[in-house]
Amino acid sequence: MAIASIPLSLWQSTARAQAADTAPPPNASSIDVRASSAFGTYGDTDHVFVQTPSIAGSVANPTAGWSIDGQYLVDVVSAASVDIVSTASRRWEEVRQAGELNAAYKPGPFGVSAAGAVSSEPDYLSWTAGGALTQDLLDKNLTLLAAYYHTHDVAGRSGTPFSVFSHAINRDAFKAAATVVLGRATIASLMGDLVVENGDPSKPYRYIPLFAPGTYVPLGASIDLVTSLRVSARPLEQLPLSRERYAFTARLAHRFYRSTLRVDERLYADSWGLKASTTDARYLVDVARRVETGPHVRLHEQTSVNFWQRAYVLEPGFDYPALRTGDRELGPLLNATGGFLLRVAIGSDREPDAWALGFDLNATWTQFFDDLYVTHRFAAVGGITLEAQR
Amino acid sequence: MKFSSLVVFVCSLSGCAHVAVYERGALAHPSMTTGDLASPSEEHVREVHEGAMGGSFSAGGGCGCN
Repeated sequence: MAIASIPLSLWQSTARAQAADTAPPPNASSIDVRASSAFGTYGDTDHVFVQTPSIAGSVANPTAGWSIDGQYLVDVVSAASVDIVSTASRRWEEVRQAGELNAAYKPGPFGVSAAGAVSSEPDYLSWTAGGALTQDLLDKNLTLLAAYYHTHDVAGRSGTPFSVFSHAINRDAFKAAATVVLGRATIASLMGDLVVENGDPSKPYRYIPLFAPGTYVPLGASIDLVTSLRVSARPLEQLPLSRERYAFTARLAHRFYRSTLRVDERLYADSWGLKASTTDARYLVDVARRVETGPHVRLHEQTSVNFWQRAYVLEPGFDYPALRTGDRELGPLLNATGGFLLRVAIGSDREPDAWALGFDLNATWTQFFDDLYVTHRFAAVGGITLEAQR
Repeated sequence: MKFSSLVVFVCSLSGCAHVAVYERGALAHPSMTTGDLASPSEEHVREVHEGAMGGSFSAGGGCGCN
């Protein structure tokens, strides 16, 4: 099961197109070539482990205003989470492959970009295509962006052909953004997102325990306790067949003499009743000519969707709740993340940035406020990147 | 004319300054990009762990969440 829909990096490619205008004048007729290889790893206390090798590359001619970049990654997931164990399933492993390609052309104040992405795994196929328009105004002190992406997902069951069993999910994503130069060292971005989803995103493996009216099921109830309390009926998850998401993000970045402070705030609401706030801050310091490092903190809190229940009740007459989920990412939770990144230029004295090594490590504590099986989760994600450019 | 007025109005609200191209050395630093600085792995985790990720949520990829 995998990441579907619109990769963040697609949004970022449009953001990069905006940011390109703040770069210093390039060497005439120069072509920048960059390549990178990365390895990421994830593990958490719910016995989920992911290894993610990836490669990326880009070719750009800043003078002419065009660029092409792409990325390919493989996710190798190994899981024996409480959700899997609670359904008497065994540990499973799965491989996902994903690739994306972006192209941008911005010879002057007006620019266009296009992007496509594909993600594939045994029970899920997703593709995304779209593009963005940018317009510089006020001598490039204000840049406007409008973007649209369409995603088509096919969700199935592992081992069963899509022609026998599958759900189609379509998403239309609209974005509008304005980037404003607030001063010689300060820049701000305001972004609005609207995503309209249609289709059945319910997980075909997720069974929902039901309880008789009046049964008290405590927070974090164990698998054994849930098994002893629940009724025999255990239907599959059923989510609403459409969803509208709204988000507003403000980002502020300020460059000090040898450091940068970046702060983001994202407010989110959707038609399922979920509301969230995400605050993200990074402070990056040039501690030496070749070394950049700094801390990262992130706080995400969200309410539950409006059909969330810790313990769904099987009403008399054996009517299942029409909407039901066991996806704890749809419940009320708090994520607190802390981490750092380190980048070391390892090129020659003449071109120190020709080669660079990057390290990043983040640890996240999640508190689940109204869930079965678990009340918290600790996760760590880290990565190492080797970059080359000429 | 209306569009120009709108741009001026937005700019006056946001307080944007007029910074010439030759004054943008600090803005050109890679860390000043308007994009996210998260690594691909970190992005992936967010998409799975935050139910509020716009458009990037749905299938909970690689999450082991069944």
